[in-house]
Amino acid sequence: MRYLRLIGLFAKVSVQNDAAYRADFAAHVAVTLLNFAAELVGLWTIFSNTGSLGGWNAWHMLALLGVFRGMYGIIGLFISPNMRRIMDDVRQGTLDFVLIKPVNAQFYASFRGLVVWRLADILLGAVLVAAACARLSAEVTVAGLALFVAMLACGVTIIYSFWLVLATGAFWLTRVTNMEMVFWNVFEAGRYPVEIYPPAVRWMLTYVVPLAFLTTFPAGSLIGKVEPFNVAAAAGFAALALAGASWFWRFGLRRYSGASA
Amino acid sequence: MLLRSAFPAFLRMSLATMFQYRGEIALWAIWGVVYPSVAMAMWAAAVAGSPDGQTIRGFAPRDFAAYFWLTMVVGHATTAWDVYELGYFVQTGQFSPRLLRPVLPVWQSLADNLAYKLVTLAILVPIWAVIVLLTRPAFGTRTVDLAAGLPAVLLAAAVNYGWCYNVAMLSFWVTRMDAIGQGWFGAGLFFGGRLAPLALMPEALRKIASALPFKWVTWFPCETLMGRLSPAAVTQGLINQLAWIALGLVVFRIAWRLGIRRYSGVGA
Repeated sequence: MRYLRLIGLFAKVSVQNDAAYRADFAAHVAVTLLNFAAELVGLWTIFSNTGSLGGWNAWHMLALLGVFRGMYGIIGLFISPNMRRIMDDVRQGTLDFVLIKPVNAQFYASFRGLVVWRLADILLGAVLVAAACARLSAEVTVAGLALFVAMLACGVTIIYSFWLVLATGAFWLTRVTNMEMVFWNVFEAGRYPVEIYPPAVRWMLTYVVPLAFLTTFPAGSLIGKVEPFNVAAAAGFAALALAGASWFWRFGLRRYSGASA
Repeated sequence: MLLRSAFPAFLRMSLATMFQYRGEIALWAIWGVVYPSVAMAMWAAAVAGSPDGQTIRGFAPRDFAAYFWLTMVVGHATTAWDVYELGYFVQTGQFSPRLLRPVLPVWQSLADNLAYKLVTLAILVPIWAVIVLLTRPAFGTRTVDLAAGLPAVLLAAAVNYGWCYNVAMLSFWVTRMDAIGQGWFGAGLFFGGRLAPLALMPEALRKIASALPFKWVTWFPCETLMGRLSPAAVTQGLINQLAWIALGLVVFRIAWRLGIRRYSGVGA
């Protein structure tokens, strides 16, 4: 309860901060809409030439694109900005100010700032998923929807843990900002179902950079396209990843020696 | 005269800088590999799902492999990032010291551009080779295609550099270039034929592409190198490239003169 209230407070402060730069906000939303239009035009091009992509038809792909955009928004909303701040804080020694707060340090470091305009991505993603669902009403069941929400939660947990491990790496490597660019590079591959890649690449996109758990599996569960094994894998992987990343964070903290080191 | 001694000096300086930051720029360069690779895999899957399951408008999977491998290489040879860089320089006032030099700032940016392309070859060439081995592209290139295609790549680089710089000069009037930069790059990817060869685009989009410079930057050199264009189309394309370069130079001269009058250093 206290944590939820705190997240609400962080969100309020972020909105107040961003409200000072309204033109910037508008520019960001414009870029989001531009990206969105480009993605739709891309889909149009693909499906004016073919009927399916690795077994996914145009409406399935629309749902997948919605999940991709939504994930992109969620990562940009709180994961990547806060993790970037952790890396900066470790390098500059200002992580002290996080550690002295009377609240769990991992929680505070992970949620202290929100990039409000990223909500536009999440909203657009939701609209796409809803449109696809409306069209695919024969394939989408209530159970599928419930599974979809659960798989999304697993996906968010996995990607949060993945980023927390990257950020914690800063305790040893100091300069890891480039890792972020590598991540966004590879993330591009998640806009298509992993079925289109050769087996070796597919395996890597599932277990090394867990993109499949972020986009393909949640979207697949919506339309009954995900194997039970992958559902179990998502749940298990999410629990393990969160526990492992939290342990790694505490382990890394012990190495941190503060501003005066 | 001054330029003849200044440009090699700029180039040496840029090469040294790029070499210093080789790790970082390698990451930028690798982005240019991911995008075409994803497109390659996507179209190979699309062929399997197409009505006849063999080809899409004359492209079999190995033709797609060749096309997107070429967009990877041509994309590297023609890349330019001044839309972001010039905007950043103008915004932060770092443009002022560059203006003090007796040589136009565009020459220094051009030296950076060439140095980046040269230094990153060290990492890109092995990656390109591995991709050829893995995907076995069907190039179908004849000597005559090379003879036309290599000049086409050079002209393409000039078209892209010139127009990228022209768009970058909007930063004299607009403070935030993020949206313009993203729009420019996004349009380049799509209308340049880096998501799909132009023949695969819906008619309406192909019309838009004809009015823009991007297809002459990527699509045209790639299809020329693959030997997919008729001699008449190749000649026409080279003429179009030259026309875009000439138009770009005219726009540059006008925009530079107007823009530099608006620029007033930090705090503008």
